[in-house]
Amino acid sequence: MQRYILRRLAQLVPSLLLITFMVFALMHAIPGDPARMMLGAGEQLDAKQLEIVRREYNLDKPLPVQYVLWLAKAASGDLGRSTASQRRVGEELLLRASVTFQLGLFAWLIGAAIALPAGVISAVYRGRWPDMLATMAAVGAVALPGFWLGIMMILLFGVTLGWLPTRGYVALGDDPLGSLRHMILPAVALGITSSAVVMRQMRSALLEVLAQDYIRTARAKGLARWPTVIGHALRNAMLPVITVMGLEIGRIFAGSVVIETLFGIPGMGRLMVQAVFQRDFPVVQGCVLVMATAVLVINFVTDILYAVLDPRIRYDG
Amino acid sequence: MALRDGVRRRTLLKASLLGAGSTVLLARHGRAQAEKPQYGGKLRVAYQLAPGALDPVVGRSGGDAYYWRQFVDQLVDADPALNPRASTSLAESWDVSDPKKVELKLRKGVLFHDGTPFNAEAVKFNVERLLDPATKATPRAAFTAVDSVTAVDEHLVRFNLKRPWGSVLSTLADRGGAMNSPTAVKAMGADYIFKPVSTGPFKVAEYVSGSHVRFVRNEKYWGRDAAGNPLPYLDEIVVNTVSDPTVQVAALKAGEMDLIYVPYREVGNFENNPTYNMRKFDGGGIALTLQYNTMKAPLDDMNLRLAVAHAINPEAINKAVYFGRAIIAKGGMWPTGSWAYDPTVARPTYNVAKAREYLKLGGKPNGFELDAMLWPSELNTPTAEIIRAQLGAIGIKLNLKVYEVTVATEKFNYGQETPIFMTSWSRYPEPDWNASLIYRSDGYYNAGKRKDDRLDALIDAGAATADIAKRKAVYRQVDEIVLGEAHMVPMLYGVTYAAAPKHVMGIDEVFGWDAKMYLHRMWLKKS
Repeated sequence: MQRYILRRLAQLVPSLLLITFMVFALMHAIPGDPARMMLGAGEQLDAKQLEIVRREYNLDKPLPVQYVLWLAKAASGDLGRSTASQRRVGEELLLRASVTFQLGLFAWLIGAAIALPAGVISAVYRGRWPDMLATMAAVGAVALPGFWLGIMMILLFGVTLGWLPTRGYVALGDDPLGSLRHMILPAVALGITSSAVVMRQMRSALLEVLAQDYIRTARAKGLARWPTVIGHALRNAMLPVITVMGLEIGRIFAGSVVIETLFGIPGMGRLMVQAVFQRDFPVVQGCVLVMATAVLVINFVTDILYAVLDPRIRYDG
Repeated sequence: MALRDGVRRRTLLKASLLGAGSTVLLARHGRAQAEKPQYGGKLRVAYQLAPGALDPVVGRSGGDAYYWRQFVDQLVDADPALNPRASTSLAESWDVSDPKKVELKLRKGVLFHDGTPFNAEAVKFNVERLLDPATKATPRAAFTAVDSVTAVDEHLVRFNLKRPWGSVLSTLADRGGAMNSPTAVKAMGADYIFKPVSTGPFKVAEYVSGSHVRFVRNEKYWGRDAAGNPLPYLDEIVVNTVSDPTVQVAALKAGEMDLIYVPYREVGNFENNPTYNMRKFDGGGIALTLQYNTMKAPLDDMNLRLAVAHAINPEAINKAVYFGRAIIAKGGMWPTGSWAYDPTVARPTYNVAKAREYLKLGGKPNGFELDAMLWPSELNTPTAEIIRAQLGAIGIKLNLKVYEVTVATEKFNYGQETPIFMTSWSRYPEPDWNASLIYRSDGYYNAGKRKDDRLDALIDAGAATADIAKRKAVYRQVDEIVLGEAHMVPMLYGVTYAAAPKHVMGIDEVFGWDAKMYLHRMWLKKS
């Protein structure tokens, strides 16, 4: 097990290298000279200023050299300064990432809180009205764009009913209750799409398990329906669900780009969008590095969880 | 300074004030003055764009002004029509009569927020800082007429000029005329960008990246209102970044914001509304303009350029896309409300018969294929569809090339990829800014770099004097050429709308000459 963990951890490094290099290459493939973009793509362009910018940010060097220079600094913990705001990327990311992680975690929990019970009920009452209702809701939720749902919730809960703030962010440390109130709408908007996917997975996995012989045996020996489902079926059905829930983290990060912009949450998604438009390479690279690391680590944790959930799985080979 | 970048252009769309609008504003202004302002309170403002920088000199985005205007004073301030206004300026008076130099007499007893005295040496430091290419100052190009700066005495500063600088007073009312504390600039280095220190009515108290900027009252501010009361009235201002206009409106209605810009589609909801005041600024930008590359086929032929301009009906676009809230352009690129605006110049207007005639004159009576550059937005995308249909009616087949705004700007002006660009423009009431950027042979927005000796000579003549009557005559001639021969044909002027609950006072004075928000004189009425 330990050897397996170590090996998996070592595998994270080439994945990260590949991801950062691809993003680096893609950013340079987007039309628009970064130095010209930096100076405002226009009238105030001035040959002398352009030269200074190119030198300062190594833009005068070949692409692979630029990447290696960035990598060498990043490895020592220095992600450079934003080309747009001149702020240190590391400092900025530290602030922004904690916000996105808080939002993401909350959205993920809301998604799970809706999806798991709905999936179980759906499977147990297969083909009857609770199943139909849950399935229809899930199809609807997958089809809803998060930003539209967000706006509708802002209008209903923020303006018409006045129950929750329409936008903004309060740090958890400053005001825990206020922070939670600000997080509810964006987290629901973000979590609901992923809840639909998880719910469908929960349903089909549980159905498969419920059809197995040992479940029939359990019922035959007189165990009631719900103790059978919860005590015997659920744990075996959870493996594929955990996988999907792990993958949903990636989707939640992707969705946070839109939701953070809509709700004015100073997170990483919003930072990255702005940086892409401004061709702010150091910031884009920094965001990608953090998000990619987070997704890889979560996938890694998911794999380890398998072993915890299913004692038959051992990673010794 | 024109269309500084994409971000700026987007702001433009929402922005705008003058002409008939300014009369209304003045009348309301008189009424508001009757009430005695109350001190205290916090004003919460929503604005679409986060600041790219707080230091006015290095910021690139037009949206930055919504932040830095609150904590700076201009060396030479201007009223909404861009007439210099000494009473709110750091210079008490100026002498621009000598084409070789400009002299400014500075206000006495003004301190930067850090206690550094504001004087001639500080002005010299600021101008030299922005002229140094290593500063990467945004307004550097606008200051290239300056050869050197002399601090004649504590309160008299002289700019020694390489060539005449007719737009000096307008230029000092923009970024380059905002003064930074020399002590703070030297002490902070790169960190200064988000911790600026100036002389204005508010000080920057807090900057939270991606969220908001908080300003607090400058207790030692020199400014007084007309009744002699010390400014400012408010204790605090928070400018929040709220990207989505729908959310801005929702936040205002939920009572979480005190002042927002109103998108065109929402204006009807705030008109004659018992709960909110709304004010507008006509000509806050050029909402839609046809920018031509006059050297690129097929639009290197003037007749075909005119055919395109005559075939487009801005009235239909205004109705369908702008809810009838924009203004049909009657002049050129200096919009309504600026002294250079001249609606009497002959210009191409919607006329299908004329459009067909010009097609024949251009040798393409059955039309032609045309590539057009476009950047997508809630307003631009439907507009382009309407234009495509209108041009299709005379046989011109429009192929749209769509890129995100900064890229489209670069690809049109620098890459010369298409003969026409459908875009919008910031409010640049100083005609020399647009003239030297769009019409001069070396102007960045002269995409084909067409060399026109007539225009170059006129632009030099306009820049050579500070006499407004003389300059007005010059820019009329520029308009006659560029509109008559279709170099750049504005179709719609924008109108900027701002709304606030009724207890928010001072909204009559909220728009500056650039149609951006000035919160210096706002106050909150306690019920």
